[in-house]
Amino acid sequence: MNIYLDAIVVLLTFVGLLFFHGTTVGILRFPDFYTRMHAAGKGDTLSTMLILFGFAAYQLHHPSTATLLVAGKIIFIAVLVFIASPTATHAIMDAGYESEIGAWSAKDGFVSSCLIRKEKGE
Amino acid sequence: MKVIAALFSIVLGVVLLVAANDLPIWGDPESPVSVHLSSYFIEHSVEQTSVPNFVTAVLADYRGYDTMFETAVIFCAGITVMTILRRSHRLRKKNVPPRPVREGQDIIICSAARLIVPMMQLFALYVLAHGHHSPGGGFQGGVIFGASFILLALAYDLKTVLSRLKEKTMMLVSGLGVLVYAGIGVLCLFLGGNFLDYSRLASILQVTEIEARSHGILGVEVGVALTVTCIMLSLYADLASGGEMDEGL
Repeated sequence: MNIYLDAIVVLLTFVGLLFFHGTTVGILRFPDFYTRMHAAGKGDTLSTMLILFGFAAYQLHHPSTATLLVAGKIIFIAVLVFIASPTATHAIMDAGYESEIGAWSAKDGFVSSCLIRKEKGE
Repeated sequence: MKVIAALFSIVLGVVLLVAANDLPIWGDPESPVSVHLSSYFIEHSVEQTSVPNFVTAVLADYRGYDTMFETAVIFCAGITVMTILRRSHRLRKKNVPPRPVREGQDIIICSAARLIVPMMQLFALYVLAHGHHSPGGGFQGGVIFGASFILLALAYDLKTVLSRLKEKTMMLVSGLGVLVYAGIGVLCLFLGGNFLDYSRLASILQVTEIEARSHGILGVEVGVALTVTCIMLSLYADLASGGEMDEGL
């Protein structure tokens, strides 16, 4: 029983760390603001949640009211991260778009946003 | 006037620095704190106040006088910021560049804020009430409660928040918080004890003297939370809108 639970905990934490690694690489290597925020927002949320679920599962080694309460609180944090983190990413992206930060495209390379607006005919 | 203020600050700073020389060195094993004070609080706070978290016991009971004036300092800070920034429109128009107008509200941010704000406020009350048993208390609970209003102001706008919690109410409640704290102290005086000697509340609350100290701590924490909540929001509203209370950021 305990070894399976340990396996689940290790798996969740490891996959979470893997996604954190992807997030870090994404923030460092992606070409512009929007893609970097994309990596940060998605990877960060998923990996934080996976690691938190791992922690919650670890609490089930000795199931009692106290440990279940701790597990419940951790899951509550995971829910908060699930709501707050993507919203924060969206808000930062939106602010970047409003203040006309340029974007990168494979065809043209880095394009400043006045050119994007011209293409859209604004 | 500015020269006088600068001189005053410099003199006060020098006096404080000279006074700081006499403080015991950080981590000094011979200092009174390390020799007998800490161990006394650790050993006796539960039996004297029935509060398991002795940080709360020390903060709101043993040195309750100090915490009362900390609350008063926060109140004064809020009042000061308001006094400086809330000048008349005529004076402001000369030297303030116009702020960018924000177009509309973002439905995603608004929805998330609507989900999170009630949870935050509930959590703030939990932190406030659970200060006896875990890290927390009036200051922390108040900050979280104030932050929930600030989140609302960021997601919607300042007017929405100020229509729910009027500026006048805000300042009244922040004063009320200090009054609750000091009032509990004065109540103890009237009941025959020292200022902020909560054990005197036992006759009103119909509990033992030790439990009365625990309840007294909760009472002053509520006062602290009221002040901190309102001053947090007031500081944000004044600073974000440049004292005009219209749009914000």
